[in-house]
This record gives sequence, C-alpha cells and structure tokens, in this order.
Amino acid sequence: MRRFRGIILGLFASASVAAPQQSPGPQRQPVAVVTAMIDAAAPGSVVRLPPGVYEGNLVIRKPVTLDGGGKAVFDGLGRGTVIEIAVAGVSLRGCTVRASGDDVTGESAAIRAITGPVTIESNRVEDALYGIDLREAPGSVIRDNIIHCKPLDPERRGDGIRLWWSHGVVVERNAVHQSRDIVFWYSENLIVRHNTVTGSRYGLHFMYSHDTTLSHNVLSDNSVGVYLMYSNDIALTDNRMINNRGASGYGLGLKDCDGIVIKGNALLANRVGVYIDNSPCSVGSTGLFESNMIAFNEIGLLATPNTHSNVFVANAFIENEQPATTHGRGQLTSNVFARDGVGNYWSDYAGLDLDGDGIGDTPYEPRSLFGAMLTAEPNLRLFVHTPAQRAIEFTARALPELRPVPMLIDPAPLAVPPTVGSEIADAPGSRAPMAALAAGLLLSAIGSAFALGRERRALPVPEGNNA
Amino acid sequence: MITATNVTKKFGPVTAVSDVSFDLADGASLALWGSNGAGKTTLIRCLLGVCRFKGRASIGGVDVRRRGRHARALVGYVPQELAFHDDVRLASAMNFFAGLRRAAPARAAQSLAAVGLTGHERKRVRDLSGGMKQRLALAIALLSDPPLIVLDEPTSNLDAAGRGEVVHTLRALKQAGKTLIFASHRPDEVIALADRVIVLERGRVERDTTPAELWPTEKPVQVVRLHLAMAREEDAAEALRQAGHAVHLNGEGLCVAVARDRKAEPISTHARHHNEVRDNEMLDDVQVPEVTP
Amino acid sequence: MTALASSAITASDRPLGSAATPARSFVGGIAAFARREFRDAIASRWFLLYTVAFTVLAVGVSFLSLSGVGSHGFAGFGRTAAGLLNLVMLVVPLMALTAGAGAIAGERERGTLIYLLAQPVSRTQLILGKYVGLATALVCSLCIGFGVSAAVLAWRAGGVGITAYAMLVAFTALLALAMLSVGVLISVVSRRSAVATGIALFVWLTLVFVSDLGLMASSILFRLRVQEIFSLAIVNPMQSFKMAVIVNMNASLDVLGPVGAYASFTLGRALPWVLAATIAAWAAVPLVLATILFARRNSP
Repeated sequence: MRRFRGIILGLFASASVAAPQQSPGPQRQPVAVVTAMIDAAAPGSVVRLPPGVYEGNLVIRKPVTLDGGGKAVFDGLGRGTVIEIAVAGVSLRGCTVRASGDDVTGESAAIRAITGPVTIESNRVEDALYGIDLREAPGSVIRDNIIHCKPLDPERRGDGIRLWWSHGVVVERNAVHQSRDIVFWYSENLIVRHNTVTGSRYGLHFMYSHDTTLSHNVLSDNSVGVYLMYSNDIALTDNRMINNRGASGYGLGLKDCDGIVIKGNALLANRVGVYIDNSPCSVGSTGLFESNMIAFNEIGLLATPNTHSNVFVANAFIENEQPATTHGRGQLTSNVFARDGVGNYWSDYAGLDLDGDGIGDTPYEPRSLFGAMLTAEPNLRLFVHTPAQRAIEFTARALPELRPVPMLIDPAPLAVPPTVGSEIADAPGSRAPMAALAAGLLLSAIGSAFALGRERRALPVPEGNNA
Repeated sequence: MITATNVTKKFGPVTAVSDVSFDLADGASLALWGSNGAGKTTLIRCLLGVCRFKGRASIGGVDVRRRGRHARALVGYVPQELAFHDDVRLASAMNFFAGLRRAAPARAAQSLAAVGLTGHERKRVRDLSGGMKQRLALAIALLSDPPLIVLDEPTSNLDAAGRGEVVHTLRALKQAGKTLIFASHRPDEVIALADRVIVLERGRVERDTTPAELWPTEKPVQVVRLHLAMAREEDAAEALRQAGHAVHLNGEGLCVAVARDRKAEPISTHARHHNEVRDNEMLDDVQVPEVTP
Repeated sequence: MTALASSAITASDRPLGSAATPARSFVGGIAAFARREFRDAIASRWFLLYTVAFTVLAVGVSFLSLSGVGSHGFAGFGRTAAGLLNLVMLVVPLMALTAGAGAIAGERERGTLIYLLAQPVSRTQLILGKYVGLATALVCSLCIGFGVSAAVLAWRAGGVGITAYAMLVAFTALLALAMLSVGVLISVVSRRSAVATGIALFVWLTLVFVSDLGLMASSILFRLRVQEIFSLAIVNPMQSFKMAVIVNMNASLDVLGPVGAYASFTLGRALPWVLAATIAAWAAVPLVLATILFARRNSP
C-alpha cells in the first residue's frame, strides 16, 4: 500500500514537474510506471492506463488486461522490442505502440508474445520493424489492429504480423501497411479473415501452415497478394487481390501446395492473377478454382509447365491481356477446365451460343501466336499493347498454319460471365474528380476554340454564309 | 527608297538574276521589263527578301536579308494573282493581314473603300473576279500605308476593264507619293506609270532607261503584227531593233510596238531590208510585245 | 476608287521610313499565324473527321472496356487505358503527321506561301505560328475525345484512375506534338503536298508497325541483350509513349517483361522523365530542323 501510494505520488510529482515545461504535449514518463501498475494489479484484472506516453521497453509477466483506452502510447524510442508478452492470458488493447528498434538480426517488434494464448486487439502500431510477432502462442487472437511498419526499403522491413508455431490463432480485421509480409510459419487451423494489407511484399504468406481458411481479406498494391508455400488444405474464399504488381506481381501464388480450394475470390488488375508453381504436387491431389473473377490482369493464369490436376470451373476470365499461359514452354492441357459440362467464362471467346444453353457451341482453345512468341522469347513482352502485336495476331488468324497449338482446352466455355460471390462492387471513389476532368478537358477545348477561333474585330465579319 | 547592289540569284546551275544593281529614289516608279524567264519575278522576290540571294538589297535603309521582316514592313506586295485561302471571306482575310501588318483596325475598312471593295466583305476570295482579287491584293498591300508598293505583273490576268481599274489606282498611288516597282508586259502601262524602266534579259540588266527612250514615240502605242517568211524573221527582228523598235518574236509573226501615227514604219523598214511582209494586222489586246534580242 | 487619293494614301506628307507601321513583334507575328492556322484547322474537314473518329472510338473503347464487368466499376480504367493506348498509338500519330505534312507543302502548292512570306514576317514566325496553331487544334481535338471518354468513365466507373487518366491525356498531347513536328519537317522538305502526305503515311507505318516488327525480329535474330532492346525501343516515340503511360499506371514496367524490368531497375524514378524527354526530343528536334531548313530554303 505504501508502495502504491509512492507511485501515485511519483506520478503527481512527475506530472507537476513536467507540466510547466511540456504543457502542450502529452505527458511523457518511463514505462516503469506501467510495470509498477501491472505489478500492483491482481492477475486477470484490468489495468487501465491513463493517457500519456510511456517510454522504454515493457515486458508483461502477469496475466492482466492492459487497456490503453486509445490514449496510451508506448514509445520504444527506436530500441528493441517495445512490448513483450512473456506470460499466457495477457490482453493488450487500445494502445498505440511505436518506434521499435530497426535491427533486422534482433527482430525488434512493436508487440511480441513468446507464449500464448494472448489477445491483442484494437492497437495501433507505428514505426515498427516487426508489427505483431507471436512465437509459440497458440489460440491467440489478433484483431482490429492497425499496423504501419517503418518506411524502410522492402528488403530491410520486418513482417507486419508473424505467427511462428502458433496453431488455432484468429487473425481478423487488421489493417497492415508497408510491411514485409503477414506471414504464418508452421501454424495450423487458423482463421484469417477481413484483413487488409497494402503496400507490402506478400499480403498473406503461408509457410508450411496447413488446414486454414482465409476469407474476405483484401490485398492490394503489394508485390504478391496471397502466397501459399508448402501449405496444404487451405481454402481461400471471397478474398480480393487487387493491383499486386512489382517484383513478382501475383494476385495469388501457389508453390507446392496440395488440396487447395480457391472460391469466390476476385483477382483484379494484378500483373499475374493466379501463379501456380507445381501445385498440386502430390499424386492424387487436386486444386480447385471455382467461381473466381480473374480480370484485368496482364496474365490471368500463369503456371509452370509441369502443372497438372487443377480444376477450373465457373471462373470468369475477363479482359486479361493474356488469359492463361505457361512459364516457359508447354501447355496447360493437363488441367481440367470444365466439370459436369460447365466450363469457365473467357471474355476473348469468339464462339457462339446458338442453342442458348449458356454454353458456347465450340470449345475455347486460345492459340495466340504472340503469346507463343512470348513464351519462346520473354523479351518480346516489351511489345505488348502495341499495334504491332495486334498485327501479328491478325496475321496468325489469317494464316492458320502459323497458329500454335492451343494453350488449354475448355470444352464448355460459358456464354455469359457467372456471378462471382465476392463483393467486388467496391467504392470506386467519388465521381466528381473524373467528371471535373471531363469537364475541364471539354471546356479547355471549347475555350481555346472560342478564344483563338473568333475574329479579331478589325472589320466586322457578317453573319450568314451566302457569298 | 530601295537600293540593290549586285543582286545575284542562282537556282542550281541556272542564274536567274545576275549582278543587278540599281537605286530608286523616293516617290519614283520603276518598271521591270523583260520576257518570261528574264528574271523579273525572281528579282522581285529577292528585293522582298523572300528568297536567299547574293549581294545586298535594302528598303528605306533596312537590309532585306538581315532584317527582312522590318524591311517588308515598308513594302506592300501585289502578286500576279492574289493567292490566298479560297474559302476565306474577304473581311476575314483583311482582318488577318491587318493583324500581320499591325494596321489600325480602322485601316481595313479604309483600305477596302480605297479600292472600291466596300460592301463585298461577305464574299469569299474564290468568288471574286480577277479584277476584284487584284484590288483586294492592293487593299492588303495598302493596309499599313507602306511607302513602297511592289507589283509583279499585276494586270496580266485581267481583261481590259480590270487593267484600267488597276492602272488608274496605281497612278493615284504614284501621285500620292508612293514609290512603285512593277513588272509589266505592257508598254502602255509602263508609259503610263513608270519614270524609269529596267530591261532585264537572262537575269541581267540590259538597259536602265526611261519609257520615252525605250519607246521614243508619241503616245499611245499600237502593236503591229507582221507576218514574214519564217527563215527571215530573226534578221527582220534585228533590223527593226536597230531601227529602235520594240520587237517581240512569238512564233506567230513579229510583234512591234509603234506609235499610232507611225504604223507603217516597220513595214517600210522591212522594205529597205528587202524583207517581204506577207501580211500585217493591228493588235489591241493580244500578245504584248517585248524587247528581245 | 475616288476615295483613294484622299484617305488611303497619305505617305506623301510623312517623312520616309516612319511612313509604315513597324513590323509586328516576333511573338505577335507567330500569334497571328497561329490564330489563322487554328481557325483554318478547326473549320477544315480533316479536323472534324479526326475529332469525330477519335471521340467515337475513345468512347467506344471506354464502353467496351466497362461492359462485361457487370456491376463492378472497378478496374474499368486499367482496361480502358489499355484500349485507349492502342487507339491513341494508331490514330493520334496519323492525325498529327498528316496535319503537319500539309502545313507548308499545301501553302507552297497553292502559291499562297510566297504571298505570306512577302508580308512583314519571317519564315521562322510563319513556321512556328503554323506549328502552334496546328498543335492547339490537335490538342483541342484530343481534349474533346478524352473529355467525352472521361465523362463516360465518370458515369460508369466513378473516379478510378484519375491521375493515370490525366497522365494518359498529357502524354498523348506530347506524342501529338512530337508527330506534328515530324509532319512539319516532312512538309518543309516536300515540294508537293501529295508527296508530303505520302511520306507522312510512310513514317506513320514505320513508327507504328515496321520498327516494332523489325526490332522484334532483330532481338530474336541477333540475340540482343535487354539494354540494347530497351535503348533501341525508346528511340521510337510510340514505344516511349507506351512505356510512359504504363509506368504511370503501374509505377513499374515489369508488365513489359525482362526489358521493362531492366528499365525500371536501372532508371528507377527517372524512368518516366527519361521517356518524357525522349518524346519531347521528338517534338523539339524535328521542329528546330524544320525551322532551319525552311529558313535556308532557296525558294519558297
């Protein structure tokens, strides 16, 4: 009790000392103040932190709930891990955690748990090397956090969220920006949903992590949206991978994964919509791609030549510069593009559906000569989007002997695009700027026509056009 | 007003204007006389600084090669036939050239009035008659009220009435003190307008004289066409020239300009040289005679 | 005619030299020609034809790209841009080259050139004035096409990709200026306007098809390295234009394969500027050359 009173006095003292000097800014004090509060609290109780900035590195060794109320700030002052949770049963919420160290070898993090379960929710992480790092913390929950990593070069960044040997973790509604990856190592039975990752390397990255469902995540403007490696039995449903470009530029990448189910996702405007590298890899295993919207990518589907046993059904391949191709020579014909008489929708399908059954009357067999040339000579990709490319395709159409073998065969192409589950009708932003641009362009044309086109009035030019 | 010193112009191996020099005083009027290809048009273009040439030319003391833009501000140019975008309305053309010549807005209307084109502002250039086009060209030339007017065969595409209008206007300009340089095919025009005639031949100044010396006759002039035996034409022409006549050989006989009261003179000249004149006719409005060797 | 002596001719009472108004300022003369050229252009059939064709095609491309996406306005722009890119690369150089090719040769053929040159203006003013007038007309034509197309996008797809769209417009305008320069140069060296148009069409065909196909073939035959292919490719303003538009849309050229990745890697942030500079050089160099050649011409 005496000690507690001492802390209170100390708080007042420091406040009264600090106040005259730093009245406009938040109160800054050493993180030891928090340690003392935790030490004073009963296990399982809630420690509500007064608003203020707590400087230094905090280690939590008692199972309490630390509630910052949205106004407590932990500042690591650029050294080491800011908050380390060393005991199971800790909840951390409503805190801003910032300025971890930035040495890659020490793996400094904003929040690290070395055991579990823990709950980390509604925190704000700023200027961190690693954001939230769970090591052997099964059953934890990471929810509603906003994470901004340090603005380092991509290769020097840490992961926004990392799980290491942590099964059964729920990762939901987090927003991560400018990190390396959200990465899952050796962690199974996870629930990963409603997260948003932007400006990072890999949006969601699975390494040897099986039996997980990923749903309703939005991965945009990363190098890769979702990259699954050596991870089996994973279901991806209703995710959106948009505009993932750069070094790799995959919406979804699969490497040596069995039993994958990809359903209802939207893969839009990526360099490559879906990249398949040797998946499935085990005998008898299949991959299923159903009802996905794969649209506006430079390449819709890219696969290594040995890729086989994937089933594509009821997907919408719309306006991809190349709908499907292989990485190197070879075709995709060892994969199946229809099931029970239902294929996929291909926007470049030129056939007709005269009987009106919703299935094109002729198979879809893309034979792009330029595509074949690209496969043989990758440097020629420089010439996509040129009239010369169109000229080559046109020539190939006119001279059938030039046409390469089909890249794939879809025996039952859909005549109309299927409705895809994922809610893609995103907010396209306000119309006003585009409308303003339209108006600006038209007005400047009309304006200069008026300004320059009218007669200077030395002599009046009579109206009418009779001579 | 205008000085040319050793103006020479070559097109490849062909010398179009060779070493032409002259000096023209303010208010004087100079006719350039010569056959087609004698270099009249090329000389005019050189004097305007429109094409590159060797030698020097200056207008009002301004070098046309180095400061052509400023030199041309002192010149109003009237081409053989006004060549301007045919679709353009007359008023619009006037506005354009008024802008180009920095003429005060009121000048455009004044200029048009001066050449009698008021009321035709709505007409398109292509709908103007030949005479009206030349009057328009004159109106444009007068826009900035330049002291020098240069005309390149301004009447050659016009009928008698059109010619009359233009000559009348030019005479008024001369009386108003403008300096004139014009190329012409017609002795009557030269006699009516010029104080001085430069006779060009293959680009050279053959004679620098006056109309009175070139045609030492009473006005007005009549053109007589003489038909002789083909083989004798050259000799006959030479004989006439030695007798002081202006002679033009055009493949259909010999055209000689003479005073109206001395029409028989060429025939008698021939008689003295024992050339038989088979036929002769009086021409009024046909081929214009030229001084040729 | 009677008014002549009284009002129009007054030189006699003025001292020589100051009689005429001085020549217009250099810029003033250019502006006078630019106005004339602009007005002639927008009243001409080619301008109307090109503007209507470009607008219809641009709007058509926008509609086509947006259809088939169902309700998803998203990514409308990326697709529209790719379609517009192809359209622009075909139509705009053709427009600009032929417009430029007619500029001087047409006047020369009609005999109007000598008359214009006899006015108190210089050849440099004439050619620059014509260039500015035609360039303004071309940019106006493009603004109409892109403006209507932007209206379609705003209506159907919202405000996606506005920056990239604005950059597309800007680079298209730059490309038009470059091709107009080349056209004017062709016009200066051609005696007849039919010849000038023929050369312009040949240049168009070369830049649009032949050079790309030739470079494709050489890159295979001579096993050119990526840096060689890139250096050769950006010489073609059409390729520079394409790369510039793509780099503005995607922030990288990796969609153009190894060559694009090489360009992005070695030039980094300078890449769009390098590309813009290449196109700007195509606008400046032929125009300067045309001006010099025109000024040094022996005859009109």
